[in-house]
This record gives sequence, C-alpha cells and structure tokens, in this order.
Amino acid sequence: MFATDNSIRIIKLLALLLNGALTSLQIFFLTLLFSLPLGLLIALGRMAPQKWINAPIKLFILIMRGTPLLLQLIFVYFAPFYMLPEGFKFSLPRFTAAIIAFSLNYAAYFAEIYRGGIESISQGQYEAAAVLGFTKTQTFFRIILPQVIKRILPPICNEVITLVKDSALVQILGISELFRVAKNESSRIFSTTPLFVAGLLYLFMNWIVTRVFETAEKKLSYYH
Amino acid sequence: MQILKVENLYKSFDGADDVVTGVSFKINTGEVIAVIGPSGSGKSTLLRCLTLLEKIDHGTIIVAGETMVTTLPNGQVSYTPEEKLRKIRLRLGMVFQNFNLFPHFSVVQNITEAPIRVGGLSPAKAKDIAFELLSKIGLSDKADAYPYQLSGGQAQRVAIARALAMKPDILFFDEPTSALDPELTGEVLKVIRTLAAEHMTMMVVTHEMSFARDVADRVIFMDKGEIIEEGTPDKIFGNPTNKRTKLFLGNLNLNSGF
Repeated sequence: MFATDNSIRIIKLLALLLNGALTSLQIFFLTLLFSLPLGLLIALGRMAPQKWINAPIKLFILIMRGTPLLLQLIFVYFAPFYMLPEGFKFSLPRFTAAIIAFSLNYAAYFAEIYRGGIESISQGQYEAAAVLGFTKTQTFFRIILPQVIKRILPPICNEVITLVKDSALVQILGISELFRVAKNESSRIFSTTPLFVAGLLYLFMNWIVTRVFETAEKKLSYYH
Repeated sequence: MQILKVENLYKSFDGADDVVTGVSFKINTGEVIAVIGPSGSGKSTLLRCLTLLEKIDHGTIIVAGETMVTTLPNGQVSYTPEEKLRKIRLRLGMVFQNFNLFPHFSVVQNITEAPIRVGGLSPAKAKDIAFELLSKIGLSDKADAYPYQLSGGQAQRVAIARALAMKPDILFFDEPTSALDPELTGEVLKVIRTLAAEHMTMMVVTHEMSFARDVADRVIFMDKGEIIEEGTPDKIFGNPTNKRTKLFLGNLNLNSGF
C-alpha cells in the first residue's frame, strides 16, 4: 500500500519535472538554432577590416559578455515597454523575450569561438584555394569552415553544456522551466527531493550533450 | 608564343625585405625558367605577385595577351575587373613550399574539388583526370589517403597534381622542395623533370642548383629585388658575367661542394 503510494508520488513528481524540462529543452534548442548561425555572422563582422562594421560588433560582444545574462533577460522583456517613447511601446511574450536574450548572448560567445577557429586556419589554405580559382564564398564554406568546425567542437561543447544549465535563468521572467518547477514543488511538499531530481535531469541532459559532441569529434577524426 | 610578359614590376612591404624593384621579363610557351638568388632577394614575392596573391605597387603583367594588371600614366595600378581576372588567373597554377593541401579532403578530392567547383567538370570526369594524374606522379595507391598520411614528398606531388588538374598554361613553383627532407626532394624534382620533358611552361623558384642547371631552359638570377642576370644554364652557371652572380654561385660552390 505504502509502496504504491510512494511510486504514484514519484511518477507525479517526474511528470511535473519532465514537463518543466520540456520548456528548458525548447529554450535550449531554439537558442542553439538562432545563436549558432548568428554567431558566425557576428564573427565575420568582428573580423571585417572596416571599422564601421567591426567597432559596433566589438561593443555588442563586450556588452553581451560583460553584463549578467539575467539582466539581459530582464532588459529584453521590459525595455520595449518602459524605455520606448509613447506610441512605440510594445511588450514581447515572455518566452519570445527569453529566446531573444539567450540567442544574442550565446551568439556573442559563439562568435568569439568561431573567430578563434577561423583565425587558426593557415593563410596557405586561403592562398591555395585562391590560385585554384575558388570564389571567396566557396573557399569559406568548402575549405575553411569544415576545418574550423573540427577545431571549435570542444569549446562549443563547453558553451552548449552551460546553456543547458543557464536555461534555468528564464524563471526570472516567470517561465516554468525545470528549475522553477522543482523549486516550487520543493516548497510545496517541504522536501529537497524535487530539486535533487531536477539536478539529475540536468546531469542527464548534459550527458547526452557530451555524447553527441564526442560522436561528432569522432566523426571528424578521420583527418588531422 | 609568348605566354607571360612582365614589365617594370615593383612591390614592397612595410618594414619587410623580399621586395621587387623594377623587374621585367618574358616567358614563352613550353619554357622552363629557374629563378635563383639569395634569400630575401624577392623571388617568392615576384611569384606571389604573378599569381595575384600580392597586389603590385607598379608595373604590368600580361598573360597570354590579356592584361591582368597595368599601371596608368598617372601611376595608378589598374587590375582587370574581378570576373575577367578570375578567368585569367585560371591560366596560372601554383605549387607552394608548404604544399597547402586541404587536410579535410582525401588525395583524390584535393585534386577534383577545383575542376568540379571552378571548372564545372562532372565529378566522374574530374575523377578520371585525377586518377590519370595520380598514376603520372606514382601515387595511384594513395587516392583515398588523407594529407596527414602522406610524406612531404608525396604531399608535394599531390599538390602538383592538384595544380595540373586545372590545366594551367603556366605552373609556378615557390621553392617546391625547401620544406622537404633531403632524401624526399628527388621524387618531387623527378615529377617536375617529367613535366619539363612534356614542355609544360614552368617558372621554378629554387635553391636546387643542379636541378636548375639540368632542367631549366633559362635561369634568372635575382638579388635585392632585381634581375641581375639571365641566360641559359650554361651561361649562368658556367660563365656568369655579373659580379653578384659570381659571388652567389661561388659561395654556393664552396658550401655545397659541387
């Protein structure tokens, strides 16, 4: 009797937490979807020789990396309403605001990783491609980028793991992701078990992230 | 037929030597030119200007009758528009000192990538050409290897095949054996000799004097950015007239003992 009671409670708790984890995963995947390509664009802008392109991008990266992500979340959510003049005010849905803030923030970090990778490719690769007649676009996407991706996988993996855990920050906007659900449940039943289980779920998600990156690295290990 | 004409070419860098100061010469189809001279004499810079890897400060370069770059009377350097420049450039092949193979492509992909993407060949046709070239350089069994699995000599031979696959009118070599262990230079020079026998037009910057003497139709001696002397190998090596050429070759003879 008692055992069944317990298992029902555990199943209920798990269902609740998994529901929260689903929101965390949405934030995770949408952020990656937007920030990975955006980061590449930012990296290219950061490396542009023209000052009017690279200077504002440097400033953007400085702000994104130099202020708390928590603050950026609040800013993106509240600023359009409180800081814009009358008539231009608008408010974003919480979830949209969270995705925007996360994408911009992670894009800034990814951009610097891309830049490191791109700058590590020897000039000789560009020259060989140029004398063979490749266009700049062909050179970048066929010759340079594939080599960059292999080199930046480990630091990208670092960021992606951090993103799984950072997703907990969106609770500041009242979004019910895994951590918030677990915390509320902990208070309600007066037990740390939900938080502990949430911890295991984060760990599980990052175990998968790690495995995915290990597989990708192995796939690209066919050359040095 | 004249394939390359260079007039009064100048190139310098901020705070670096290896400049080119007023170089003029011509290459005819089928000629093999060896460029020799001390380090920092501008040999490599000259090659890099000819292959558009460096922008020149002054002068004219004409490839197969088409002007790649010229200097206007007011001193402004004027390159041919991008589209046409890319077409002219396809007539020029380059083999680098450090091979610069694409590490993420197999040997055969290294050779086929440009013919397919730039030349518009079908992958099947490009592969045929690649295998033909691989058998020519004696590396048919390495078609599916990756550059890191090759010795320096093999890598350089693949780099030559890669350049040849684009069927250039002139092939430039920038010290093709300088990055190789001495025992590996022979296999690369042998490939270049084979090409010379087939009357491939080539301009080879080299420190291999015996190779220059045996293979070149004409030897250009450069020092401090200028062509000091040029002529047949017999003339340059046997009877140089300029003091600097004599000094350079004399020092070499002392050091290398040939």
